[in-house]
Amino acid sequence: MPGDRRRIKGPEKSQAPILYAPPDQVLEEYTREYVPTRDPQRQRPVYVKVGYLSQATGSAYFESGATKIVASVSGPRQAEGGEPPIGLEGRLVCHFRRAPFSAPGPRRSPSGGREEKELSLALQEALVPAVQLQRYPRALLEVSVLVLEDGGSTLAAGITAASLALADASIEMFDLVAACGLALPPGADPAWLLDPVFYEEQQAVVGLTVAFMPVSNQVSGLLGSGEGQAADRWAEGVRLGTEGCQRLYPTMQRWSLHTAAPTPPPQTPTEKADP
Amino acid sequence: MMFVKLVVNVRRCSCYPESFRQQRIGTQEDLRVDGRGCEDYRCAEVETDVVSNTSGSARVKLGHTDILVGVKAEMGTPKWERPDEGYLEFFVDCSANATPEFEGRGGDDLGTEIANTLYRIFNNKGSIDLTSLCISPREHCWILYVDVLLLECGGNLFDAISIAVKAALFNTSIPKVRVLEDEEGSKDIELSDDPYDCIRLNVENVPCIITLSKIGYRHVVDATLQEEACSLASLLVSVTSKGVLTCLRKVGKGSLDPESIFEMMETGKRVGKVLHASLQTILQKEENLGPKRQKVGFLG
Repeated sequence: MPGDRRRIKGPEKSQAPILYAPPDQVLEEYTREYVPTRDPQRQRPVYVKVGYLSQATGSAYFESGATKIVASVSGPRQAEGGEPPIGLEGRLVCHFRRAPFSAPGPRRSPSGGREEKELSLALQEALVPAVQLQRYPRALLEVSVLVLEDGGSTLAAGITAASLALADASIEMFDLVAACGLALPPGADPAWLLDPVFYEEQQAVVGLTVAFMPVSNQVSGLLGSGEGQAADRWAEGVRLGTEGCQRLYPTMQRWSLHTAAPTPPPQTPTEKADP
Repeated sequence: MMFVKLVVNVRRCSCYPESFRQQRIGTQEDLRVDGRGCEDYRCAEVETDVVSNTSGSARVKLGHTDILVGVKAEMGTPKWERPDEGYLEFFVDCSANATPEFEGRGGDDLGTEIANTLYRIFNNKGSIDLTSLCISPREHCWILYVDVLLLECGGNLFDAISIAVKAALFNTSIPKVRVLEDEEGSKDIELSDDPYDCIRLNVENVPCIITLSKIGYRHVVDATLQEEACSLASLLVSVTSKGVLTCLRKVGKGSLDPESIFEMMETGKRVGKVLHASLQTILQKEENLGPKRQKVGFLG
């Protein structure tokens, strides 16, 4: 008997198979890169490539462990429409997007939603203090960050990549912005974990991202929340984050320089070899 | 008619006599344009149960900032990742009455930003007991729609909104329901006949937001619009009544020195504790007046 071809054979709403897994079972794709005992201060090796998109004014590819980010800058160009600019400062518009397939588990909706709006704002607030917007009167600068693969600490990696892309676009800046993610694991008297992987981030009771400008010693971005912690513990996290950014900074600087004047940069233990 | 207007006034215990402090000039010297010290809140008026069609409501006036919050409880299905919990939904409406800049879609970005911050401070197990909002796991739960209305903007929106949200949640009463199961396993939900048979939420651990605006080398709490204009960067912390911090966020286009962040967190903790204590006493006092309380409303 011929079936009704117009009818879609399947349930109206589908769910990811992980929903039906026993509660204590953790799939391997979630625990990628996860090491139960690790040095709380370890940072994953990073790979940076600056200026590899042909159509953007500036761009950067940033890889930190399994986290893979593409950042690009377009502009400065004349701001069109919208509200007339207040004062003579240029505007920095940031977009933080995640690929629908970036994270393990169910597919994300490509339209993003609440989280992406919040992270776009966090990205903008972390970058604005570093950019000399008064040098670009009535201009519009657009920064767009795309997460290809989420291996944890994506906002931090996004900020780092975006500041490299801004530098590649020759935008005048006070300093490069380095950022670090932190997570506080559950349990009694835990210690902050620097640069958490995806699984550590999922398990964490507190997540924090610190964006830091090492030369001027200024924190340009701060976003964190979770279970209540004493002020001292938060302070400890911020301090650890700024130290992490200090360590990341030389790598960023060298890769920016390398793109401007190509000479093979020396390899350091914190960097991955060119794949 | 008896009018009850409740006033929360958080003032720091100052080690200086008032007259001495008034002689000092500028924020640096712990004196602000309106005569407050750096850690002083403006006078806040809090009134609960102001709108009749809600499960709970509150109105907070903090200087020229005027906030109205309504909570509506509706039944829905729990989220799949949290099958035995209800949840909260926030919406912040920046009406054009507040400032002309909100005309059209002008207030949307600010509204989303505030709503996202509220989601963030409530996104932990400690703030509010969400399991009490569950009716039957995986099937039914209460969803609390928290709608925030900005009636007037006079600076320090975040703090005023968080106070109003806490007061409205304190005031919220959700009808009691029972789940009846018959022999065939089908479930029925029965609503209690008594309209006063309600569950109340425990808001003891609901945090309040304290915004610390950096002006010069000092930071101030509860900045007015003028002070906000002078400040390049602020730190937003959410503090519970026990003095623990649940959220930390830098706001604005400036940057902050790490040392000043640590100082600001300490101030936030100190101010937050005092604020919570005053708010709790006031809410309790109003509650104890019972149904015979006369409402002040919007013209009071």
